[in-house]
Amino acid sequence: MFHAFDTEPAGRPLDRAQWMATLARAPLDLLEPALGAHAQCTPHWLRPPETGLVMVQGRAGGTGQRFNVGEVTVTRCALRLGGTDARGDTASAVGVAYVLGRSHRHAQLAALADALLQDPERQELLNTQLLVPVRHHLALQRARRHARAQSSKVEFFTVAREAGVADEEEGNE
Amino acid sequence: MSAHDLSKLGAGFSDAALGSQSVFRAALQSLSHPGRVIALPHDAQAPSRGHAASAALLLALLDPDCTLWLSPSLADSDAAAWLRFHTGCVLVDAPNQAQFAWVAQGDECPPLERFAHGSDAYPDQSATCVLDVAALIEGGAAGWTLRGPGIKDCTRIEVAGLPRAGAPAFIAQWAANHAGFPRGIDLFLAAPQQIVGLPRTTRIEELGT
Repeated sequence: MFHAFDTEPAGRPLDRAQWMATLARAPLDLLEPALGAHAQCTPHWLRPPETGLVMVQGRAGGTGQRFNVGEVTVTRCALRLGGTDARGDTASAVGVAYVLGRSHRHAQLAALADALLQDPERQELLNTQLLVPVRHHLALQRARRHARAQSSKVEFFTVAREAGVADEEEGNE
Repeated sequence: MSAHDLSKLGAGFSDAALGSQSVFRAALQSLSHPGRVIALPHDAQAPSRGHAASAALLLALLDPDCTLWLSPSLADSDAAAWLRFHTGCVLVDAPNQAQFAWVAQGDECPPLERFAHGSDAYPDQSATCVLDVAALIEGGAAGWTLRGPGIKDCTRIEVAGLPRAGAPAFIAQWAANHAGFPRGIDLFLAAPQQIVGLPRTTRIEELGT
């Protein structure tokens, strides 16, 4: 099923799947400054960043039979904030990221932001500092791409035939 | 613990390649010298249930193509999620479908003949079992005498805390397992920090018999 992850969740509370999708497409130069000091600290890895291939499937027209579109490069990682003990009750949030491409730094920052966003106290601030600008950036990028595609749009017209002939043919059908 | 709850999950080897290689080396050592107690150094944050040595051993051996059976108390603990997350292995409900099995200390071990034994043409398609025990003492006075390939003459080992059925039942099952050669399972006995390998070629005699 198709989910529009770019659209702002109007009125609804922030959804983890939604912000993970947004973070995965956020450009690095928006992630780095928004995370500030958090971006510099050494993460406690559950799974260090690793790059692999994922088979992407699609449906023709969104409805037909499923088929393999092709493989894409994906980098994933999982980290824990603060680096507390596995058995400690103070175990903090775990951030996970799956990011297109080979950028380990991007995966790390996206996972870090995911972990921070799970903390209700930090959520509001990070939403305005990070998610809103990223959504804005993605919308802008989309609009720009749309405009570029529109410039080469071709309209196909069927030249109307002589009225009499057309009527005759319509009658035969 | 649900499969999606990562908040209590421990980390795996700090360096996946070097960590699993050193554990794999120890596993090879223990299978080539049955009955020798081999220390298993590792830096993984093992789950709360089950011995750390068995957890590290399975962490090194498993991959997404492997099927794993866990004894009931392990299947209910964070060990299942931990191994699933770090290795991607497939958990199965029936012991005979599993390529690997892990039995926690205090849990009942299914009879060994219920695990996959492979066939005469493909004896490699048998299960590898990891059995948690309380302690492993090499050369213990009261214990087993082991004979077979990899052992010069004989070696002695004392195993404390075998599953509920006890040592005599285990030795009888092991004799049946050995008799089916080339088919049969391979076993690791695991103490909290050490392992002992028992390949299917090894014979166990109780001292005094």
